[in-house]
Amino acid sequence: MKGSSGGRWTVGKAIQSVLKHAFLIIMAVISIYPVLWVVSTAFTPGETLATGWHFLLGFVPVPDHPTIDHFASVLNLQVTGGTFADWLRNSLVITVSTVLASVALTLPAGYAFSRRVFPGRGALMFSFLLPTMFPGVVTIIPQFLIFATLGLVNSYLGCIIPYTVGSFALSIFIMKGAFDSVPRDLDEAATIDGASEFRAFWQILVPLTLPSIATVSLWAFMGSWLDFALAHVMLQSNSLWTLPLALYSLITPTYTYYGTFSAMSLIMAVPVFIVFMIFQKYLVTGLTSGSVKG
Amino acid sequence: MASVLERLKASKTSYLYILPALIGLLFLVLYPFAYDIYISFTNMNIGHIRDFSLIGLTNFSYIFSDPDFIVIVENTVVWTVANVIPTVALGLLLALILNSKVRGKTIYRMFLIVPWAMPSFITLLIWKGMYDLQYGVFNKFLEQFGVAPINWLGDCHWAFPAIVIANIWLGYPFMMIIFSGALQSIPTELYEAASIDGAVGYRQMLHITIPLIRPTIILGLLLGSIWTFNNFNSAYLITAGGPGICTTIFITQAYNLAFGGLLNFSVAAAYALIAFVFLFFPGLLWTRYMGVTKSS
Repeated sequence: MKGSSGGRWTVGKAIQSVLKHAFLIIMAVISIYPVLWVVSTAFTPGETLATGWHFLLGFVPVPDHPTIDHFASVLNLQVTGGTFADWLRNSLVITVSTVLASVALTLPAGYAFSRRVFPGRGALMFSFLLPTMFPGVVTIIPQFLIFATLGLVNSYLGCIIPYTVGSFALSIFIMKGAFDSVPRDLDEAATIDGASEFRAFWQILVPLTLPSIATVSLWAFMGSWLDFALAHVMLQSNSLWTLPLALYSLITPTYTYYGTFSAMSLIMAVPVFIVFMIFQKYLVTGLTSGSVKG
Repeated sequence: MASVLERLKASKTSYLYILPALIGLLFLVLYPFAYDIYISFTNMNIGHIRDFSLIGLTNFSYIFSDPDFIVIVENTVVWTVANVIPTVALGLLLALILNSKVRGKTIYRMFLIVPWAMPSFITLLIWKGMYDLQYGVFNKFLEQFGVAPINWLGDCHWAFPAIVIANIWLGYPFMMIIFSGALQSIPTELYEAASIDGAVGYRQMLHITIPLIRPTIILGLLLGSIWTFNNFNSAYLITAGGPGICTTIFITQAYNLAFGGLLNFSVAAAYALIAFVFLFFPGLLWTRYMGVTKSS
């Protein structure tokens, strides 16, 4: 940008800069405000939000006498037979299985779509993308009926299988894009040198596409760790609940346990937030790689 | 032409790679979709869970003659437009500002990305708490200025803007990120050449920036529309479609019909099918546009 008028200071530029910062600060405050609120509520005694906190600077909620009681009550939470330990275990089993299954199934599919030419390839690729156009309920209702017939309602598999399949559209598409970005010569050279196709895939393509594999894992993780709609339908016994269902049970039509709710929200959200911040760079590349070429 | 069979044979391993995923897709997406179409022509509900029978177009004529239907169509269209346009506009504005010379970009970006990085399932329930009539933070804030509490979620006029605001809050960081990516991919030489030719400020923006990121803007609008139209969480977790049907859109209507107690699966399926028809064209545009089905 050297040589443009960028170097000189003018009143107009100063006003522009002040306006920019004002806008960015307002948007930054709006962005974190609900999080401030939940942190404040999690450390405020009592469940009602009615008392125990005040505004700092007229808008930042702060507890009068901070306490960590709500975190203890989350760990001791029970809803007719289900305990926090149950829900954590259910969530972990379902999420880990979903991530593993999703990676195991989307890698070979993405590979075939990227490296091989075969009849029906375009149609098949399109059919994997179809679900993105379905309103989720279109499939939840029949899925529920199918799983009811198979006796898989109220079982881990009733969630793991739909979550895994639900991750396909985006994941296969991301993996195809990732394999496409690796020059063909690399794995072709390896096969010419006598390596099997599987070895070329495993020793050359997989290491080069690790960021995309991480992205695929993260999408599968987010989709299962946080899902509410399907779990709400599939897991009806309290001891089989996942964490989102237990969290939702704290907000009832008649009463809301805001203190416990906020503490549990933080327990569930903090790990996701950290992982997300680390991986955010990779998350969008798969989605937009086709669009920015213009 | 006899080679078709041979080509299929030669491609056996290719199909094997895809087969496991394809089986999942067939049983859990394509079959349910076909099944959904089928039950939308039956009378499957709480009284006929197993012994349902085909009743032709009755469900559709019931939906189209239901006065609620037009309200729900209106809600869904307003919901989608009212969310997508501000979301894209805010995302674009933030990306443009962060792409210009500003101090503290990294810190701003970290804060601005929070709504996206927090699980939406949780933040929506947080918004519900903030809208609480008696104790919610918004009413407490207004109280300081002597403003009477607003019944955000119980009043039809407030409930809709309330959930739209929460959903815009969820949406702009994603748009900001995809636009930032697009802006960074514009070669700086273009701007240098333009400023040598005397084009500065708004004219650079109008003639270089906007045309070059137009594909990303279109992508944002399309993807945003599909996701918003389909956004069950945002439309359900705060208001569950209420009060009445004030905030009910296609997807929440179908969900409430099916799982709201009456197990009215057939009418729900018909609703979902109508919603799919609405969505199919933007969806088709998206896949065409991205050229995702093309080979490398």
